[in-house]
Amino acid sequence: MWLGAAATAALIAALLAIRPAHAAVHHAALVIQHASGSIVTRCVAFAEEQITGLQLVERSGVQYESQGFGSMGTAMCQLDREPSTVPPGCFGSGPYWQYFHRQGAGWQTSPLGASSSPLHDGDMDGWRYAAGKNQVPSMAAFASVCRAPSPPPAASAARTALTPNPATPVPVATQAPTPRLDALLPSASPSPDAVLTSTGPPTQPPKPTAAAPWLALGSLAILLLTLGAVNLRRRGP
Amino acid sequence: MIRHPVAWGAWTIAALAAAFIDRNPYVQALLLLAVINVYLPYRGRRLASTWKFGLALALVPLLFSAALSRFGRHVLFTLPPIPIIGGRWTLDAVAFGASTGLALLLTVAVFAVLQRTVRSADVVAILPRPLYRAGTTVALALAFAPKTLAAFQAIREARQLRGQRTGWRAAPALLLPLLLTTLERALQYGESLDARGFGSGRRSRYRPFHWTAADLLVVIASLGAIVVIALLPAVAYNPYVDLVPAAPDPDRLLAVALVAVPAVTASLLRVDHARHRA
Repeated sequence: MWLGAAATAALIAALLAIRPAHAAVHHAALVIQHASGSIVTRCVAFAEEQITGLQLVERSGVQYESQGFGSMGTAMCQLDREPSTVPPGCFGSGPYWQYFHRQGAGWQTSPLGASSSPLHDGDMDGWRYAAGKNQVPSMAAFASVCRAPSPPPAASAARTALTPNPATPVPVATQAPTPRLDALLPSASPSPDAVLTSTGPPTQPPKPTAAAPWLALGSLAILLLTLGAVNLRRRGP
Repeated sequence: MIRHPVAWGAWTIAALAAAFIDRNPYVQALLLLAVINVYLPYRGRRLASTWKFGLALALVPLLFSAALSRFGRHVLFTLPPIPIIGGRWTLDAVAFGASTGLALLLTVAVFAVLQRTVRSADVVAILPRPLYRAGTTVALALAFAPKTLAAFQAIREARQLRGQRTGWRAAPALLLPLLLTTLERALQYGESLDARGFGSGRRSRYRPFHWTAADLLVVIASLGAIVVIALLPAVAYNPYVDLVPAAPDPDRLLAVALVAVPAVTASLLRVDHARHRA
């Protein structure tokens, strides 16, 4: 009975947890508004189901300096060279980088830090360097940053690589499980700053997550349950 | 049979490190299973109270997180704007609280194993010589608390049998005999220590500990688990970012398997309870 229950539970858990990975290329938009009012936009493509707001900034190639505050998350100290020097303790006494999510037709202050804010396909993040609360960035439609959802980069191999903005280094994917940066392609956005980065081979067919960890998990659960059955038969003191 | 307090100490550190460093629910569930397995051969008759306490403790962060956190994308329901508890109740907050609660339950379970397997006298016995006197004092002081509580219960029951009141108004009548009982016990302890020649010369051991193969195996396995947990970083589980946890890394499963080694040795070797509790 123990073995059967354990095997069933392990099988159900494995089946529920296996999800297709790299099934599609998703896009998220980034809007950065400096204190001067100048706006920088980026469109980032990603293969995962979701990324965090910090990963969006990281993959967009915009220069940034952040500081972790333990369980409270990561704070943005410097973005796109503003302020020119990182204030001591990350925050200065004046303006600071405020973080927003696009909700419908407006911006909403993010309740979480960028490292804990998930972004999905079609989401848009906004940053504004300002003092005082609720200084939202200027309105920008997702379509104006990312245009229409782009086809997989491999389908448009004739395009030439976009020369990155000199002010911003080439995006580098740093997350360990992220596939290599395959293409750095121009988006169809009219914005000259828009950069489309693609992670992972787009022509790769959807494949299930590796089953080995789940098999190991199920095997260990069965072993522990069997061991429990043996020890349960022994009389306690 | 694992008897050496050092072996149990190493196992406790490994289990607590696994419980607090890795919050992946799959790893936590497996770890709880492993700790229960270790507990089973040493279980006592009154095992329900410890687990009831652990479960009650685990519910606290779950309830607090669900009621106070308004973050997350998976909304369960929305309450009207009532102070403190009004707003969105999310599955993400429930998962975060459950993960914290499970870590607390694991802590209680680990210490339940330690309480069943290691006596305070055994810990005092392995202390280095400079710490022996201080250790004995601390052990006696710690032993005083449950004995004082037991004396309080006995006095209260005695008053009830005589038909006397036991409410807070009867506190002075309860405290005076409790004080006298405690003082009498303290004198008995002092006389016992004096009769045993405590502090008069070199310490002797009536029943010295010997390392067994099982003890060594548990120490090695626990050290291995600590190294794996401390040196190999795991993907942190954050339900606010991704509600469904990722499959645990193989090294984390190895750490859980190493924590379960005392259960394996107990299943292979006969548990000599009389000798163990001697």
